[in-house]
Amino acid sequence: MVAGPAVFGRRAGLRQDHRFESRPERLCYGRVVFWILLATFLAYTIWRIFLGYPQPRRAYRIVAPREVAFLEAAGEATFPAGGAIPLSGRDADLPGYADGFLESLPRHLRLQVRAMLMLFEQATIFFPAPGRGGRRRFSSLSEEQRVAVLDGWSRSRLFLRRLAFTALRAVLTMGYLGHPIAMRHLRLAPLDFPSPIVEADLLYPAIGARKDSINWTEADLCESDGTPLDPNGPIHPSFRGDER
Amino acid sequence: MAGAAEATRGEVRVFAEYDRDFEEETDVVVVGSGPCGAVVAHQLAQAGRRVVLLEEGPPFIPSEFELEGSKSMSRTMREGGLRSTRGSILPTMQAIALGGGSLVNSAICVRPPEAVFQRWATGFDLEITNRETLDRHYDEVADFLGIAPTPEEVQGRRNTLFRDGCDALGYGSEPIARNVRNCRGSGECFTGCRNRAKQSMDISYIPAAIRHGARVLTSVQVQEVLREGSRVTGVTGRVAEPFSGRLGHRFTVRAKTVVLAAGCMATPVLLQRSGNLANRSGQVGENLQFHPGVAIAGFFPEPTTPQFGATQGYQSLHFLDEGFKLETLWAPPAVMAVRMPGFGHPLQEIFADFPNMAVWDAIASTHKSLGRVRARRGTLDPALTWHMHPDDVPILKRALFVLTEIYFAAGATKVTPGVNGVPEILYSRDEADVLLNHPIQASDLVCGGNHAFCTTRMHGDPARGVVDEYGRCHDFDNLYIADTGIFPQCPSVNPMFTGMALAHRQAEAILDRT
Repeated sequence: MVAGPAVFGRRAGLRQDHRFESRPERLCYGRVVFWILLATFLAYTIWRIFLGYPQPRRAYRIVAPREVAFLEAAGEATFPAGGAIPLSGRDADLPGYADGFLESLPRHLRLQVRAMLMLFEQATIFFPAPGRGGRRRFSSLSEEQRVAVLDGWSRSRLFLRRLAFTALRAVLTMGYLGHPIAMRHLRLAPLDFPSPIVEADLLYPAIGARKDSINWTEADLCESDGTPLDPNGPIHPSFRGDER
Repeated sequence: MAGAAEATRGEVRVFAEYDRDFEEETDVVVVGSGPCGAVVAHQLAQAGRRVVLLEEGPPFIPSEFELEGSKSMSRTMREGGLRSTRGSILPTMQAIALGGGSLVNSAICVRPPEAVFQRWATGFDLEITNRETLDRHYDEVADFLGIAPTPEEVQGRRNTLFRDGCDALGYGSEPIARNVRNCRGSGECFTGCRNRAKQSMDISYIPAAIRHGARVLTSVQVQEVLREGSRVTGVTGRVAEPFSGRLGHRFTVRAKTVVLAAGCMATPVLLQRSGNLANRSGQVGENLQFHPGVAIAGFFPEPTTPQFGATQGYQSLHFLDEGFKLETLWAPPAVMAVRMPGFGHPLQEIFADFPNMAVWDAIASTHKSLGRVRARRGTLDPALTWHMHPDDVPILKRALFVLTEIYFAAGATKVTPGVNGVPEILYSRDEADVLLNHPIQASDLVCGGNHAFCTTRMHGDPARGVVDEYGRCHDFDNLYIADTGIFPQCPSVNPMFTGMALAHRQAEAILDRT
């Protein structure tokens, strides 16, 4: 059935009234509110993710100030001072470790690890810490709140949350236990011993160098004598100092 | 082998020496310098064939070995050591270095029991892949690499405690046979043997192959297998900068025979990227299997001096029929610590007990848990999916229980099982019952999957497998695959020795046919 002119007229009239009287005001008001809300949201998001972080004590090649703040906060919560090992997470220079670790990763994996750090820093929005201000960024929480947040991740019923926690703690632990002070305290620092010169050493240069940089000759060839190492022997030079 | 004496000495090319695009021509090109590729390259070069061995990674010398776990992994492992499957999340590591996985594995060499080969023969229409025919190849590889049981003087306490626990319970155990000469017990197998005792391929088969005339090109990434009609004609790719992977000059190696030994992950990806080559069966990249492993730590009243001793010095094959093998284990402390429970002071207290710790692990034969390998756009890194079958979870539960039982029998005072939903620390054998009784799911376990198999499996029926029993592709008579991808099923024990024995046999087959 085809609609007659009267019908169109009524409909047109309704549309006209709506357009020129009440709707423009509502639209205008609504748009203003929408843009204000959007701008506020964006400003808050930008501030929350990027701004308000203290300047790191030293320069890093990869990690940003927000990641430094998070790693120090998470390191302190995971390995607090006064524990059984005379090295706290904050003193272990975990940002320095993460900087080197990230630099060694392929780009897509570097992005994934950095995304994980951001997830933990920002996820307090969805998984808040108990107490006042529990939705602040992880690095802005109190010591007790950080511990509670990490505990929530580690004991979550959601497999992916537990998995994310395991991944984060792996990064922190690698940095912490790789520190010379921790390794020496545990008496687990690698030992120092000479490497025998074998046929392969006459073939392969250091990575990045040319073969003409090889200084060994056949006269240098020797092999392991098989004498068991002394666990109390001298430790490797890279674990003798107090910095990684 | 007349060619052996007459061969001109070969050479190694390294990244710094590539200054232009290049082409080479040879009899055989071998892609991948891991245990299987190195054996094939050596045997063929020794017999006088012109061989070019291609490796994407660089050669490492002792001063290049990183002693810290994560740094070492990021330098020697693909994807920085962070590769894992989707589906059931399973971290898995593949090396990128001259010598492949042999540079950073613990040198375990075990021959599977006859039952494994019987299973392969009946399930996959195989006729000559059994212990009887393979023992000669195992023997020749063993002689070359000096494979022998780990001597008592370098076992270290954390290994002998395992033996004590097994003895107390009546479980069989034995020193692990390894491709090692004059081990000093540094426990550094996973970061590279500074003592040059481990006979990894870069210091054993590859230098010997070079002596027989093989040319070894390192830092070259093969991107495609070339074909003309029903034959393959070589490979092509680009020079790859160590660690960054930045691609440079192009190269082509033309060859009468192509051997893909790039590993269970990279070989199927290479075939898929070469126009779905050799895949009439539809099995390329399918059937991915692992030996999922679980490791737990036990703590003893007296020091175990864990940094000393063979990395993996003792094992028990007692439970192979039940689907798992038990081993001792050591790795950089930071790597071992990843499995420890909790955080804060309690975690630091556990770390402080590390000098009294021993870590042992189980690897499981999970035949029902399957996955696949797929090429991804713009990269040779594979997309991996794998699913732990619910029927395979009880194998790992039982293995965890048995390990815990052995710990307490050996005198441990506490054990950290690392299973979600059960107590973080167990203090007695009675408490270990929770590992059997608690309804553990696959996602409650923290597993690793270091051995990978079956993605280009051998099968007597060309419609159901990619290669025949000699590793020759059913679809191309001059294309071979030599890595653990050709295993029809997981072998229930560490795969390197079997891979090398199969590669040794394959080299003889190539010589017979060319």
